[in-house]
Amino acid sequence: MPDQADVGTGTDVTAGGARTAPPAVRVQGLWKRFGEQVAVSGIDLELPAGKFIGLVGPNGAGKTTTLSMVTGLLRPDMGKIEVAGHDVWTDPVAVKSRIGVLPEGLRLFERLSGHELLAYNGRLRGLPGDEVDKRAAQLLDVLDLAGSQHKLVVDYSTGMRRKIGLAAALLHNPEVLFLDEPFEGVDPVSAQTIRGVLERYTRSGATVVFSSHVMELVESLCDWVAVMAAGRIKAQGTLAEVRGDAPSLQNAFLELVGAGGRDTSGDSLDWLGGTR
Amino acid sequence: MSVLDAPVTATAPAAPTTGLTPIFVRLKLTLLRNGLRQSSGRKAAYIASLVFTLLLAASQVLGLVLLRGNAQAGTVVVLLTAVVALGWAVLPLFFPSGDDTLDPTRLVMLPLRPEPLVRALLVSSMIGIGPLFTLCLAVGSVLALAHGPAGVLFAVVAVPLTLLLCVALSRAVTTANVRLLNSRKGRDLAVLSGLVIAVGIQFVNFGAQRLGEAGGLSTLEPAGNVARWLPGASAIAAVDAASRGSYGVAAAQLLVTAAALVALVWLWQRGLVKLMTAPDGSTLAAAAPTRKESGRTGLSALLPEGRTATVVHRSLLYIARDPKTKAAWVTALAIGAIVPLINALQGTGSIYFACFAAGMLGMQMYNQFGQDTSAFWMVALTISSTRDAYVELRARALALLLITLPYTVVVCVATAALLGSWRALPGVLGISFALLGAMLAIGAVASALFPYSIPQEGAFKNVAPGQGGLAWISILGGMLAAPVLAGPVIALTVWLHIADRQDALWLVIPAGAVFGALIGWAGLRIAAPRTANRLPEILTAVSKG
Repeated sequence: MPDQADVGTGTDVTAGGARTAPPAVRVQGLWKRFGEQVAVSGIDLELPAGKFIGLVGPNGAGKTTTLSMVTGLLRPDMGKIEVAGHDVWTDPVAVKSRIGVLPEGLRLFERLSGHELLAYNGRLRGLPGDEVDKRAAQLLDVLDLAGSQHKLVVDYSTGMRRKIGLAAALLHNPEVLFLDEPFEGVDPVSAQTIRGVLERYTRSGATVVFSSHVMELVESLCDWVAVMAAGRIKAQGTLAEVRGDAPSLQNAFLELVGAGGRDTSGDSLDWLGGTR
Repeated sequence: MSVLDAPVTATAPAAPTTGLTPIFVRLKLTLLRNGLRQSSGRKAAYIASLVFTLLLAASQVLGLVLLRGNAQAGTVVVLLTAVVALGWAVLPLFFPSGDDTLDPTRLVMLPLRPEPLVRALLVSSMIGIGPLFTLCLAVGSVLALAHGPAGVLFAVVAVPLTLLLCVALSRAVTTANVRLLNSRKGRDLAVLSGLVIAVGIQFVNFGAQRLGEAGGLSTLEPAGNVARWLPGASAIAAVDAASRGSYGVAAAQLLVTAAALVALVWLWQRGLVKLMTAPDGSTLAAAAPTRKESGRTGLSALLPEGRTATVVHRSLLYIARDPKTKAAWVTALAIGAIVPLINALQGTGSIYFACFAAGMLGMQMYNQFGQDTSAFWMVALTISSTRDAYVELRARALALLLITLPYTVVVCVATAALLGSWRALPGVLGISFALLGAMLAIGAVASALFPYSIPQEGAFKNVAPGQGGLAWISILGGMLAAPVLAGPVIALTVWLHIADRQDALWLVIPAGAVFGALIGWAGLRIAAPRTANRLPEILTAVSKG
């Protein structure tokens, strides 16, 4: 998506020229251990502002753990995290007002209707009531949820939940948006809607950080990629840098996480598809 | 063509019907073992409850054996069995540690025929502390009753029959309820079962008091005579009848339990088949036409802007809409009113029982964030200072007070009216206010320090596995600490009574209100920084459901 990349670079240049904008996220020596298992082992990460950033990695790579720590939802064992130049743990006021989050595996207040959820969330964030209602109505409209805005979220489908979660994350117009697997289990129509909203949002100079293990998606959406595996950052940089000489991000990714040469043509499954 | 495309014909492996029961028994044992392996605390709790149950069972058996030869032995034993059978029907629905180890809905995708499945589930349900206790009780019961070879013969049949009936009853009721709970309407209905328990306990209370007054087991005889023909108890009654030589009656009584067992297994199986083949309530609800609702409800339009009003509104909506929250509230409201009012009706209670209402409702302040489930992240992301946490907690306490305060007053006044002791009413009101403040304070601090998950899926489970101890300790600790915190107001009331200054009792109302407000405020102040500092820990603790 070349025009997308151009827009991103353009924003970066103006930002870099006018003021030295701090990176959207800076992570230093981040560790997290659950019992015996090390989920994140001392990662350093610097995500530039104003980009569409993909955090990719296989299941269990530590993507969700990392995003949870960066957004202040999980306490790290060690390490320093800054979002837009503010420390997540010592300056939560500055950080929490600047970020929007769509976590994975956490529920919403499902006994509220879609409209009530947005109204609740916006008011908790201290926005004036009229403004919340105006923004909520527009978001519900754009995300194609206007028809179900009075239905309880508990009755929403996966795609609708993702969309209402995204609306809640965008409501206060954050500087940095963190999305954990925003397209997981989402139907193609909803996915396209989410995509459209996110592309429009990054064009304004905001940063989107999203995790995924669907490489085609990352390749088509992102202009900056960080690859994670087994709790470590294997590579980070622009899409072209990470892809290198590989024909696609998928190949580069498999090479990076060390799954490139797994043999699936051996005879260990020779019964599969055999005579029955 | 892969294995997936192959038609299910004779060449496909036959559904494992013969060996299903041992598989399920092994599965149950494995699940039990793995559950215990998860944490040493859980293991300790399990062993403790096992030892406790065995001690209780042993003393029951001993008591029953000592009863042997007593003229009323039959009546007592039969009633005891009836109560235990009733317990089997009701308790799994209400106790946090409901047995979901063999949740049939997890077996939906397996090619299992209903008959062997029910058989296997029935047998594997016999493993556990509850069945062990029931077995001990049944054995003790027949030991107390069986005389002569006929008695022994009937006893040998009656013991397993009673146990099977209890387990089948429990399973059939649970299965029927799982189905109910899958629909939102059903959940709302299920809330009423909390009332059933509350009323049931009061009936037991009432019965025990009557027994004490009448001063003899013979008063139980009419009830016992009915229970002799109730399934479960009738099998034990059959042993008694056979021992007395009434073989016809004995056979009929045994038949009643056997027939009930067959009927229950049939009902259970039908419930299972329906559960595993019909679309569940959530699908039906999702397919239902969109609800039409006005955007802003009347209440929210009345409330001012800001976090306080927003949180109060959300809390009240959740009491009305979230089945778990609603169940907790309805139960608390019902028990809080029933205990003082029924006691007053019997003329035995004190007006001070009305303080129970404040205690029951104050308990709803506990585990505030657990009630949010993992949706607490939305709250956590908006709390960035102690002030935010304080306002959040204060708003939740306010929502609670909106219902609790008028309710407490109504219960106190109603109790006073029933007992006619208007003079003591101010004291009761004052103590209630102080207790309420203390419960709010302790609840707020416990919410910050000891949050735990409330599973949403499990039919009647209120604590996530492994957190039961935490929940009970914080609630028990709170119930003990609240009267201590409210001590000054209680002491004032007692002193006024002792010093015969009942004309000054009205002083307790403002004293209790001010004291309660101060304690509540202090509690929120203590809880706020702990909440703000522990957001990630609280989120982790409440996300285990």
